[in-house]
Amino acid sequence: MKKYMGNKLAILLFVLPALAIFITFDFVPIIQVFAYSFTDWNGLTTPNFTGLKNYIDLFTDRVFATSNRNQIIFAIVITVYQMLFATIFAITISDKKMKGRKFLRVAYFIPVILSVTVVCQLWSAILSGEGLLNKIFEVAGSDFKQNWLGDRYKAIYVIAFVNAWQWMGYQFALIVAGIKSIPSDYYEAARIDGCSNVKAHMKITIPLLAETYKFCLIISLTGGIKAFTEMNILTGGGPNKSTFTLTYMMYNAAFKKSDYGYGLAAASVMVLECMLVMLVINFIFRDKDQKKEEEKARRKRNA
Amino acid sequence: MKKKILSSLMCMTLAASSLIGCGNAASTETPAQTDTPAAETTTEETKAEDTKTADTASDTASGDKVTLSIYTQYADDDTKVPYDYAVEQLKEAYPNVELNLIVQAQDDGQTLKTLAATGQLPDIYQASTDIINTFRESNQIMVLNDVAKSTGFLDKLYDANKDLAYAEDGNIYAFPFSGQEYVLWYYNKALFKDNGLEVPQTYDDLLKCIETFKAKDITPLALFGQEGWNTAAAYDVIATRYAAGGIKALDEGSAKVSDEGYVKAAKKLEELVAAGLFQNDATTTNYDQASEKFLSGQAAMFINGQWYIEDATKALGDDVDWMFYPAEDAASYEAGKSAFSGGGSASGFAVNPDSANAALAAEVAEFITEKYCEAKVMYRHNPLVAIDTGKEPDSEYPAMMKKLSDTLPSITSTTKFTWGLTNSTFNDAIQSESQGLVSGQFTADEFVQDIEDTMD
Repeated sequence: MKKYMGNKLAILLFVLPALAIFITFDFVPIIQVFAYSFTDWNGLTTPNFTGLKNYIDLFTDRVFATSNRNQIIFAIVITVYQMLFATIFAITISDKKMKGRKFLRVAYFIPVILSVTVVCQLWSAILSGEGLLNKIFEVAGSDFKQNWLGDRYKAIYVIAFVNAWQWMGYQFALIVAGIKSIPSDYYEAARIDGCSNVKAHMKITIPLLAETYKFCLIISLTGGIKAFTEMNILTGGGPNKSTFTLTYMMYNAAFKKSDYGYGLAAASVMVLECMLVMLVINFIFRDKDQKKEEEKARRKRNA
Repeated sequence: MKKKILSSLMCMTLAASSLIGCGNAASTETPAQTDTPAAETTTEETKAEDTKTADTASDTASGDKVTLSIYTQYADDDTKVPYDYAVEQLKEAYPNVELNLIVQAQDDGQTLKTLAATGQLPDIYQASTDIINTFRESNQIMVLNDVAKSTGFLDKLYDANKDLAYAEDGNIYAFPFSGQEYVLWYYNKALFKDNGLEVPQTYDDLLKCIETFKAKDITPLALFGQEGWNTAAAYDVIATRYAAGGIKALDEGSAKVSDEGYVKAAKKLEELVAAGLFQNDATTTNYDQASEKFLSGQAAMFINGQWYIEDATKALGDDVDWMFYPAEDAASYEAGKSAFSGGGSASGFAVNPDSANAALAAEVAEFITEKYCEAKVMYRHNPLVAIDTGKEPDSEYPAMMKKLSDTLPSITSTTKFTWGLTNSTFNDAIQSESQGLVSGQFTADEFVQDIEDTMD
């Protein structure tokens, strides 16, 4: 292996295919998205340069603020729900004394393998005006019947819940794998020292899962920013675009109004938001050693 | 050294297999070309349109099979029956032509636009006003003026539908098969009678009906507000009581949403929504759910196009009818009887000018359009088609259609369905803003302000 790693040609040959694919299918399209966002392209004709017009229109569009608000709500709801429940469930089924842990492990993961459309249709039936949830309230004698998916302000929370419900299993699987990689000696040592189960998990499990949590946080938050499918199926972005996100704005502009330039401006802002979130997360989860090195370097500079 | 040779060999094998892979991809395209007639495969791809005409004419004359792809709706009886009939008739008239159906997706033209962007447009496609306007800018829709003249299509068009054939620039880009269409306000006669209610003529009457039906746990009007056109129609039937131009005038820019009539209409709709005209979850209700409510007697009224007459009559028989839209007072009600929401549009069958068989496709598109009209008259009992087919329905017209036919001569103004609107920004705005109004969570002032901001 060392021989190969020392051979620059070998490194190049191994990296090149993946790099070529990344440049062709990721990097170039992203650059194109930014380039076309400064034009009046309608998807078919030759684009004309319009400067910052699309961005000015976008930032003054009332739906832009709504979309960003929805993305933040969506990201927060799914992050809190998924990470909280995934951690609780993963820790619970990691206890070898627990009965039915195999069944629960499969049950928690089942929604992940279902199609998003199936999940949305299922929840749509539950949440509709005459749906199961309202029927339950009715049978219970409560008049707490709600227009779950048609409410201007609440619908986004309901949609976020549906997404969180489906994808919690994915984070659950990651955390279970992370817990399994922690040597049992740590827990045994903690137990000898008189540490309770809860304290052991707080002091051992969670700190050692930092990298896993970092990954979970990135997929939750970026997933929230680029959310689209659930609102498209459950509410169609309504009522009156109140469940729009930037992805929905992009879709609506490009495919309903044939205004690709405007749609791509929305997409560009979304890409920047995703990158910003990743940078912030990476900064928060900086390696401690890296922090020390940075500190050393600063001291050296000062000296 | 051996390892170096081995790794070099592996790299070369990898590179060679990639190249072979590319080579295979090219070769797989060859069999696909065998689908097209031999005469076609020998001609150059960049041949001129005139040459195409000569080629396709010789194809049909020589008896070679020509397969034309067609992208059209094929979802319910109203779309399946005409298509199947047209295919049957085509076999007799054009024995050498075969149609390859690509079922149209309900995706706001997304699929069609993607096919256009990738140069894979079908030979014939059903084009809405939005598609026509977009594709004519990129020259991906054929000008059919000559074909319309040579086939006699223009002569067969009803006078009232002459304008429908022409786009804004005066050219014909599609053969329309639907004539002037209307938004009808259906009601369940039995439910009104059982509850001792008269057909509402004024909004005060309508409010009384709402109150009565709600007390009996009956939805006054089932709306399928998940579809923006239905909420826009709900606004338009009120707007036309105050300003006959309705949403058409807003689309064309001859009126502003802040004009008195449109503001009054928005406030009236807001009032009716607050009174409970629609079901609570109207904005998340789809067509099937709303129609089921109406046809099963859970809802007393329903707003849909005249194409719904056949289905409503089948399910409810004599218990269903349509009413003239209620108005502010009796005088406006009478005056408004001649102003209808809905109307025709330049949409219909269009042809891909880059098709290998463009000239033949244009002829076939015209033929199919005629047959669609015939089938709609004969089997769907819908005389509101674009051309005079000279055909009679296979059974009597439903009572509601007769009533509409009797009313037609007195109709002096129509508006447009959303798919006939030409300003895509306004189209998007009216669909979403009317949905907001119908939800009861957006005020009439917000409706007016937002549309005005969007249009500015």
